[in-house]
Amino acid sequence: MSNVAIVSGEIPPPRHDTFLAAVRKGYFATPGAAAVTSVCLALIALAVWTVFRWAVLDAVWSSGGPNVCQQATGACWAVIAARWRLIFFGLYPYDEQWRSALACAAILATVAVSCFPFSWSATRLPLVWIAGYGVFYGLMRGGFLGLPTVLETQWGGLSLTLFVFSTVVVTGMPLAVCLALLRRSRLPVIARTVAVLIDGIRSLPLVAILFTAAIIIPYALPHFLVGDKLYRVIAGFSLFFAVYQAEIIRGGMQALPAGQEEAAHALGLNYWQTMSRIVLPQAFRHALPPTINQVVITFMETSLIVIIGFFEVMASGNAAFSTAEWSATYVEVYVFVAAIYFAFTFTLSRYGAYLERRLNVARH
Amino acid sequence: MNTQSGEIAVDVKSLAKFYGAHQVLFDVSLSVAAGEKIVICGPSGSGKSTLIRCLNKLEDHQAGTIRMLGTELNEDLANINEIRRDVGMVFQHFNLFPHLTVLENCVLAPMLVRRQDRRTAEEQAMLYLERVRIPQKAGSYPGELSGGQQQRVAIARALCMRPEIMLFDEPTSALDPEMISEVLDVMIELAQDGMTMLCVTHEMGFARKVADRVVFMDKGRIVEEAAPSDFFDNPRHERSKLFLSQILGH
Ligand SMILES: Nc1ncnc2c1ncn2[C@@H]1O[C@H](COP(=O)(O)OP(=O)(O)OP(=O)(O)O)[C@@H](O)[C@H]1O
Ligand SMILES: [Mg+2]
Repeated sequence: MSNVAIVSGEIPPPRHDTFLAAVRKGYFATPGAAAVTSVCLALIALAVWTVFRWAVLDAVWSSGGPNVCQQATGACWAVIAARWRLIFFGLYPYDEQWRSALACAAILATVAVSCFPFSWSATRLPLVWIAGYGVFYGLMRGGFLGLPTVLETQWGGLSLTLFVFSTVVVTGMPLAVCLALLRRSRLPVIARTVAVLIDGIRSLPLVAILFTAAIIIPYALPHFLVGDKLYRVIAGFSLFFAVYQAEIIRGGMQALPAGQEEAAHALGLNYWQTMSRIVLPQAFRHALPPTINQVVITFMETSLIVIIGFFEVMASGNAAFSTAEWSATYVEVYVFVAAIYFAFTFTLSRYGAYLERRLNVARH
Repeated sequence: MNTQSGEIAVDVKSLAKFYGAHQVLFDVSLSVAAGEKIVICGPSGSGKSTLIRCLNKLEDHQAGTIRMLGTELNEDLANINEIRRDVGMVFQHFNLFPHLTVLENCVLAPMLVRRQDRRTAEEQAMLYLERVRIPQKAGSYPGELSGGQQQRVAIARALCMRPEIMLFDEPTSALDPEMISEVLDVMIELAQDGMTMLCVTHEMGFARKVADRVVFMDKGRIVEEAAPSDFFDNPRHERSKLFLSQILGH
């Protein structure tokens, strides 16, 4: 018996390879592997060096006019120095842009506060968001305390992107929970209707929904129900988010054994108590990775609202190089905008990873 | 709703239960006095779980009446929730809430359903956790406990609602053999304290020790109902004899 030796003999402690040994074993084991590794390393080094030279060594950093870039072979960061306010604030009146910046900060602070487990209670979370939105709306729209009114049509840039994104997620998430619960209703009429609604909306492209919200709804609804185009678009977007998220949550609920709900009922918990204390918390844990995914995708899809005339950060980036003197610097502007997107989506996915670690402690 | 011993705690009359067109309970009648301990046994698929799950309306029945603690189980939701408060249940697979600690599992229902404040609920939970001999695990998550420990927590969780009746559906059959006795010991103590108990179990030692009556079911019917000594030593029906020879035979 081969395992007798293992049981009776001395078991050597597992050896960990040193870093160098591990690299040699993993990437340079055979001459072929060594060759592939070397070629890849060379290519990567070349790419990194090229980008580094363009972006740093040969780049023009000064904030002079467009002329300073004429001799440059590298990136012309002068365009960012000259046009960053357009990128961040869009068409928001120049003298009032500090309000847009503060409003941005307010939304970011609200998101940050609600990401801490401390705020996850049914009373704290709504309070945080009502306060956050109150500050945002007051600052952006103005019209009191001597702040001039700035209409929604003039909002733009990063603060518009953040506003649309956070509103879509914050209103879409509860809507998604409702849809997921209704789709599991014991009353077949309700369950079927909601299923048709969800599957119907999921089969439409987001662009079509945004167009409908922006252009068709005003013809279909009585005037007093129409509201500003921005809010209609957000509502459409939020519905789109909710139907996808509803399916994600429903998937999370199906991962629960039936015994969980039965045990809750047997203890006398009613439907809402069972859902809010037992089913949904566990469903969200199961559905966390796809949920984070969905949120990140939604952040990037906010750039689609440009096609119905909103000046979010992508559109204001386009505007930043659309004057004659900066027209050659579109790469720099796109890189800058991409860096903004990256900063947000990377933070979101890191937060997702943190949440998973944290919630896993309770699951094993 | 305090039941005195001698009062009828569970009264089932001519119960019939269908899954779709498939009938799984036929004309089941059973009456249990407060303080009585009933052991229900029978071959797999005979309807033991179904019967016990009808008693707290985890399953609907289609004909007959069920009275629990004097209240008839009907479609009225308020009525059902009231009964469930007073009827505890322990499942084969424990069904602890994995995202809550042992203590949170125990205080959840008393706080939400009985409207106890957290302090009272936690003190009481610790009392019951001590009774099932597992107070040191109050802060652990169910996933960190062995099967036997989980089942004892599940019993404590049910007891925290201070039920009048306890239902057990094969509480030891998902356990490794060496953990069965720690759960049975807790159940025996509970029986000695005078709890009204209905246990689906094949633990014949337990049945002999605590049961006032053994109910034998087969194919959706109650075939035999007798004191444990009569049932085990002189089963009257062919099917009871066959069943006993199967579970005791080897
Ligand atoms: N959800 C269900 N849908 C349809 N039929 C079911 C359902 N649950 C149970 N049954 C059927 O009802 C009958 C009784 O099942 P039940 O679970 O009550 O048996 P049991 O006596 O508890 O068996 P076991 O000892 O295996 O637990 C079986 O024939 C089973 O197939
Ligand atoms: Mg069963």
